Amino acid sequence: MGTFLIDGHVIPFKPGDNILRAALEANIQIPHFCYHAALGSLGACRLCAVEINSKDSGKAPRVAMACLEPSEDGLEVSVSAIAAQQIRQHVIEFLMINHPHDCPICDEGGECHLQDMTVACGPPYRRYRGRKRTFLNQDLGPLIHHEMNRCITCYRCTRFYQDYALGNDLGAMRLRNEVYFGRFQDGPLENPFAGNLVEVCPTGVFTDAIFRQRFARVWDLKTAPSICPHCSVGCNTLPGARDGTLRRVRNRAHPELNRWFICDRGRYGHQYSEHSTRPLAPRVSGADTSYHDALTAAALQIKLAQNRIGGFGSAREDMEGNAMLQALLNKLGGVFTAFCDPELETATIAAVSALQNIGNAPSLADIEQIDAALIIGDLTAHAPMIDLALRQAYRKGAKLALLHSSPTLLAQFATTAISVSPREVYTRLSRLCELVNIESIANDMTEAPMADIVASLMGARNSLLIGAIETLTAYEVFALEKLATTLGSDTRLAYAFPGANAYGAALLSSAGNASTMLEAVENGKIRILIVAGNDPLGDSRFGSRWRAACHNLSALIVLDCISTVTAKAADILFPVAAWTERSGTFINYEGRSQGFSSVFHRSEYLPSVAEVITNLGQYLGRSLPDAESVLCDIFSDFQTPKPGTTGSLITVPALTMPITASIHSIQKSCNSTWQAALASWYGDEALASFASGLMALTPETVALIEPTSAVNAGLENGSQVKLHGPAGSMVLPVRLNQGVATGTIAIARNVLVQLGVGHGDSLELEQVL
Amino acid sequence: MEALLTRYLDPVAPLNLVAYQATGGYRGLTAAFDLKPEKIIDIVEAANLRGRGGAGFPCGLKWRLRGADAPSPRYLICNLDESEPGTFKDRYLLYGSPHQIIEAIIVSAFALQVERAFIFVRGEYAKGGNALNQAIQEAETAGLLGTNIGGSGFNLQIEAHLSGGRYICGEETAQINAIEGRRPNPRPKIPRPSTHGLWGQPTTSNNVETLINVPHILLNGADWFRDLGVNGGCGSKLFCVSGKVQHPGLFELPCGTPARELIFEYAGGLDEGRTLLGFLPGGASTAFLLPEHLDVPMDFDPMAEAGSRLGTGSIIVLDDATCPVKVTLNLMRFFARESCGFCTPCRDGLPYLVQILTSISSGEGQADDLELLDELSTTIASQSFCAFAPGAVMPLVSSLKCFHEHYEHHVTAGHCRFDKTVKDKT
Repeated sequence: MGTFLIDGHVIPFKPGDNILRAALEANIQIPHFCYHAALGSLGACRLCAVEINSKDSGKAPRVAMACLEPSEDGLEVSVSAIAAQQIRQHVIEFLMINHPHDCPICDEGGECHLQDMTVACGPPYRRYRGRKRTFLNQDLGPLIHHEMNRCITCYRCTRFYQDYALGNDLGAMRLRNEVYFGRFQDGPLENPFAGNLVEVCPTGVFTDAIFRQRFARVWDLKTAPSICPHCSVGCNTLPGARDGTLRRVRNRAHPELNRWFICDRGRYGHQYSEHSTRPLAPRVSGADTSYHDALTAAALQIKLAQNRIGGFGSAREDMEGNAMLQALLNKLGGVFTAFCDPELETATIAAVSALQNIGNAPSLADIEQIDAALIIGDLTAHAPMIDLALRQAYRKGAKLALLHSSPTLLAQFATTAISVSPREVYTRLSRLCELVNIESIANDMTEAPMADIVASLMGARNSLLIGAIETLTAYEVFALEKLATTLGSDTRLAYAFPGANAYGAALLSSAGNASTMLEAVENGKIRILIVAGNDPLGDSRFGSRWRAACHNLSALIVLDCISTVTAKAADILFPVAAWTERSGTFINYEGRSQGFSSVFHRSEYLPSVAEVITNLGQYLGRSLPDAESVLCDIFSDFQTPKPGTTGSLITVPALTMPITASIHSIQKSCNSTWQAALASWYGDEALASFASGLMALTPETVALIEPTSAVNAGLENGSQVKLHGPAGSMVLPVRLNQGVATGTIAIARNVLVQLGVGHGDSLELEQVL
Repeated sequence: MEALLTRYLDPVAPLNLVAYQATGGYRGLTAAFDLKPEKIIDIVEAANLRGRGGAGFPCGLKWRLRGADAPSPRYLICNLDESEPGTFKDRYLLYGSPHQIIEAIIVSAFALQVERAFIFVRGEYAKGGNALNQAIQEAETAGLLGTNIGGSGFNLQIEAHLSGGRYICGEETAQINAIEGRRPNPRPKIPRPSTHGLWGQPTTSNNVETLINVPHILLNGADWFRDLGVNGGCGSKLFCVSGKVQHPGLFELPCGTPARELIFEYAGGLDEGRTLLGFLPGGASTAFLLPEHLDVPMDFDPMAEAGSRLGTGSIIVLDDATCPVKVTLNLMRFFARESCGFCTPCRDGLPYLVQILTSISSGEGQADDLELLDELSTTIASQSFCAFAPGAVMPLVSSLKCFHEHYEHHVTAGHCRFDKTVKDKT
């Protein structure tokens, strides 16, 4: 740690900092293009020229690139020196030779780094009299618009795409002033983080194609700090709205979570709130009505049912909505849970309790520093930004090991990837635990891949065990916890939870309530079901039972902002505000409580879940305290986190769960040859599945089968098979895939729903000839 | 003087291993294995063998600086990516005597204790590359490559890498990227390739002409080598002469031979009735010299003192019927085309210079264009990332000085003095 001077300002620096990095950290601007805090120095653009006075007074000052010049104690640096200014002016002049000067119609206008730098450093007039070089653009898919003529060749896009996000279908081609950044052929960018090109590009080469469809100038956008609702990582975002509609979502840096980047689901999933099927008016018995009439109808039904009531909160519903629903149900003597799948309920609660025992999950910044990881399941779909953080760890040399049942993108970076059927995961985890306790396993070749995993975890200074809850049972959650305990304190534990507020929802739920509720509806003990942001009728494993059981209800009351199967079946539907249209609190996978603001209001009246429940309480004559008071009653020192801050870890009383009892009820039958596995992809999530741009990239609907299993069953690539599940059957083409476990058929979520099976359930396969 | 480097050259039917050995080939190898590696470096250093690729860095010093204790694996690259306009000396070496190259690499690799060497061959020299691969196979079969060469305990593997074909691949660090299979952009010079080169390991790069001197130095001694030169130069040098001369060609002469001798004696002088306007002494990326420089020794330091560079020792001659503006434009088009596109001044600045030169050349230049060329060249040369752009603007900057009146004439008269279809206004 030392200091140097920039035009009289004292700049502190850390060892290894170059002048530009130290200056930017100290909030002193030095013009630059190719330097990016996440991508480092390159030295290509030559804009960050500064004049450096040597400590040796006899030496003449020299001009250097601030991004390549190491910080030194006592250096005197000048950004304003004439020599440096002249170089910057020339660089801008060179860069603008071929630029189309199309700022008036450019999507980047107003937030264009090139525009800012040109105004700040460039010559006032153009001297170049020749023709401009032009390019043909490429079709890069539905999410990103390509406009190569604007390129200033800073190489940020390829450095992000190839070096940082480890993608391989976008790169620099050709040379001289014809360097072209694109794909080998037209086609959608394949990397799940490709959308960051929009923000990484300092000008308008890569722009947001979804935003472009309903474009607004950046200065006309209403923004407010928000939290991404599309998974449990809790990335900080900055949505932008205009005229009562949401137009785009951008990254908002959080020092420990998403610093510069978000995933494409987070960037493009927001289209759910603009979907044509979104409910915008209250409905009673299929007819649109007013909120007052809907509340009156709901209150009447609840009174008639004499409090035989149950309610679902949701892992994607905020703390306020869940807690208010629970408070109302408490007053009415009803049952509450946030999970409609009993297995998911126990697994999620088990995971929160495991983290309470072991210690909190590491932040994304911490995950980037680990040197070994064991990953259970597919993180790219369940927590995309944890995948990106693990890619950074991999770049630094971390050894990644994977146990997975269906194809997962991280496998290509794994030192050891073992495909195991869902039912085999528990055995494998237990065996890993045993191996940790056995000495000199390395020589035992029969255990080779498993022993390798153990060796890399035991040899690591800083390791991580992480699993995707949606594809784990509580057994496996505990097995992973046990492995973490066995490995010792150098091992961190984390879970990718099934929803932005799954951690918080688990704190409010009790294991076993989901089964209790299903049985109570089936046997008529519950007559009224309130569903807030959940979709029991659309559940893959229990959907058909729920759909049947709902005939016993006198009223299904649904609060949601998307048109789920349950919302469509609602007797009384309350459309509610989407996450950008209201404020609230999410608790992320670390247990970090983060607040989000209302960004804008639509022209329709759309209250939050908490507001609807408050009103319903009033109509029932049961007035409820406000959400903050309710939360304070549950969590003694709860404070609503201020949006725009980094949030804080929620302190909660230790969870107790009658785990053996609840696990026992969900033991699976194992009498079939085939097991179903969820074949997930990064766009696959309840809200994002209503985002049309993202959905245009949905992989083809196929049955993925491991080659040897397929050959044994007489199947080949392209064979047609009919899959049978409890809820129905479906004919699909077979695709052979090495990433699927033996005896497993990996199928998309919508196929699981149609068949009525969950991840790990049995499945019948019949070849269609 | 006696042919040394060109002794074995037969571009039509290069010597196979047996024939090469019969005429004295691979004797340098035997001499080398009798010495300790550090002794070889001492001798090369004492011989004052300077890099023939253009920069003239002392070869012995380069080898010493890499250090005998550099971590393994370490690599040697023989740079045969000859792309400099006017330069065809390495081509003769490749097509004429591939075994001479292999012998030189084995000796140098032994001195550097390198077990894997690469020959980076210009893409257009594909046929030569094939011949080289055949020669490598011959040498492997004969036990001159591989493990425990000649019972010395020394192992070496040589791979010929045929370039994808760009001028920038001749740049040391771009070449390293190319061999690694990456885009051939230059790398930052710190850390140096001598410590962090190919795959992050210590790497030594030498021009092929530099290396083929080494066996001869070992056979005949450092003093003998130094005495080969004249006018203060050391050793033998391959010179190329092209342009407006009667007999363009490759000439092996003592280092330090003046251009007058090369142009007028060996290359047969200019065409009847023509006089010398100027010449490029060391390839396209060197500064123009004038008739007054004809007697400056063609050696590294004297050429630098005259304001140019020895470069590759490739003279390009301009006579008084040649428009220097058009020649310069031609060169600048080449360099603008060959920029790798990495840094702004080179990528976008060189085409800017081409645009201005084009308009001057076609008589559409404006009064302040000459100043603008000067102004832009200064930034391009000083602020670009690698040595490509400083070299690229050298002929332009010197051309503006040496042939100023020709540029003035284009701008003021609106046409070229040599364009017979236009009547001169002045």
